[in-house]
Amino acid sequence: MSAYSKLHPLTCLVGYLCILIPAMFIKNPVIQLTSLLGSVLFLSVICDRKTIGSDLGFYIPLFVLMAVTNPLFSHNGATPLFFMNGNPVTLEAVIYGIFMSVMITSVLLWCKCYGIIINSDKIVYLFGKSLPKLSLLLSAALKFIPELKRRFRLTSSAQKTLGQYSTESYTDRIKRMCGVFSSVIGWSLENAVEKNNSMKARGYGMPGRSNYSIFKMTAADKTISVLYIACLSLTLAGAFTGKLYFSYYPTVSGIPDSPLALASYFSYFVCAMIPIIVESEEAIRWKYYRSKI
Amino acid sequence: MKAKQIISYAILLLLVPAAIVLGFLIFGSGGFIYSILAVSVLVCAAFFLSFEKSSHKSGVILILAVMVALSVASRFIPYVNPMSALIIITAMYFGAQAGFITGAMSALVSNFFFSQGPWTPFQMFAWGTIGFIAGLLCKPLKKSKILLALFGAFSGIVFSLFMDVLTVLWQDGYFNASRYLAVLYTALPFTALYAVTNTVFLLLLSRPIGNKLDRIKTKYGL
Repeated sequence: MSAYSKLHPLTCLVGYLCILIPAMFIKNPVIQLTSLLGSVLFLSVICDRKTIGSDLGFYIPLFVLMAVTNPLFSHNGATPLFFMNGNPVTLEAVIYGIFMSVMITSVLLWCKCYGIIINSDKIVYLFGKSLPKLSLLLSAALKFIPELKRRFRLTSSAQKTLGQYSTESYTDRIKRMCGVFSSVIGWSLENAVEKNNSMKARGYGMPGRSNYSIFKMTAADKTISVLYIACLSLTLAGAFTGKLYFSYYPTVSGIPDSPLALASYFSYFVCAMIPIIVESEEAIRWKYYRSKI
Repeated sequence: MKAKQIISYAILLLLVPAAIVLGFLIFGSGGFIYSILAVSVLVCAAFFLSFEKSSHKSGVILILAVMVALSVASRFIPYVNPMSALIIITAMYFGAQAGFITGAMSALVSNFFFSQGPWTPFQMFAWGTIGFIAGLLCKPLKKSKILLALFGAFSGIVFSLFMDVLTVLWQDGYFNASRYLAVLYTALPFTALYAVTNTVFLLLLSRPIGNKLDRIKTKYGL
């Protein structure tokens, strides 16, 4: 379990939004590259080697595909590099394609990272108070999925032991699957009603009952949340005053470098680095304590 | 309860066009993706709130949870899965609102296993809407098998077309018709597969699962 995922769910959610909003909405190369750098570093910290390897096999071809296809479909831009089937392939479209794929890849990677960090427990905690019915549905559905699997296996082996449809022929197997499927659905539906009765008998829905929660807002959580929001405000200040504006078409403009733009870049860099700092702080402390033994 | 329901429908009626106009004003023609995102999120939020305010008993919620779990589990079957069919059947027997919730939650929960991404709100919106429309059409759908088959095929095709629009909007920032045609062409076998599997599973499963749902409803008075 990573150090970042031990933070309070609210802090994780704030971090997620502070990273994702600029990454998705601000079309500025510096912001996009910062986001990609942060997401790659974070992924490499929280995932094991094998997952990272298989992810690279998926994301690098996707990146190349998106970058290459943009100039083929988009013919905007003032600087034609060469002509293909009578259509210009422009420098601007190539650059736009590359930075769009940087943006899309980084957003996908952030979503993957936060999908690991903000698990279903945290979602139920975050929305349980304001949306009690939906979070009951969510947590019940999550519980029922492994239960369905278990019931399917149980019923299937019971029918096999009874000698029903036990030949290996294709029609027999399909018949058994249908029968098992049908009885599992019936079983699960009846069981859901039983569970409901048991919940009611134990006082579900009575006033004054609290939710199960193992999360506590610590001083560190508060500090990190405030830091996140401050950084996001500064980045958005740069975006809304137009200081981060970067145009791809018809010609590529220079990268904005006014003082406010630089401050925005820096604050977004801090946003993107917070997860890695939290992770490595834990690792350094661990090494320090071990060195004292 | 009634006032709150009216409020959530008002959110739907006022904020959806407002979101589209605002997206257009802030981001220009490149803003359509954000507008669609805002619409998806708002529609889901409106339905979630109205579900919270509804008078559904916790028994119905748990039955819906079983159906969500079933459709999520069925998504693990590669290529030919009855996920949409299960959502449509649930909607036919529990109404439009429950249909939307089943569709949206199936998308959300199954993405915990597949992977969450920017597509999650869009999928929640798309599957939810399929459930919502099936719930509205529950009477004719229960009566006529032909209509049911048509609805299955139609929902598969529209779902696929909608997701392809998003692919294009996201990659180009605006609606690029030539890329859309290219995407449609490459997605054609999958679109056809969706339509066929939806139809086949609806015809196969609507009667047996429907009977079970009906039986549970009468047996326990839900």
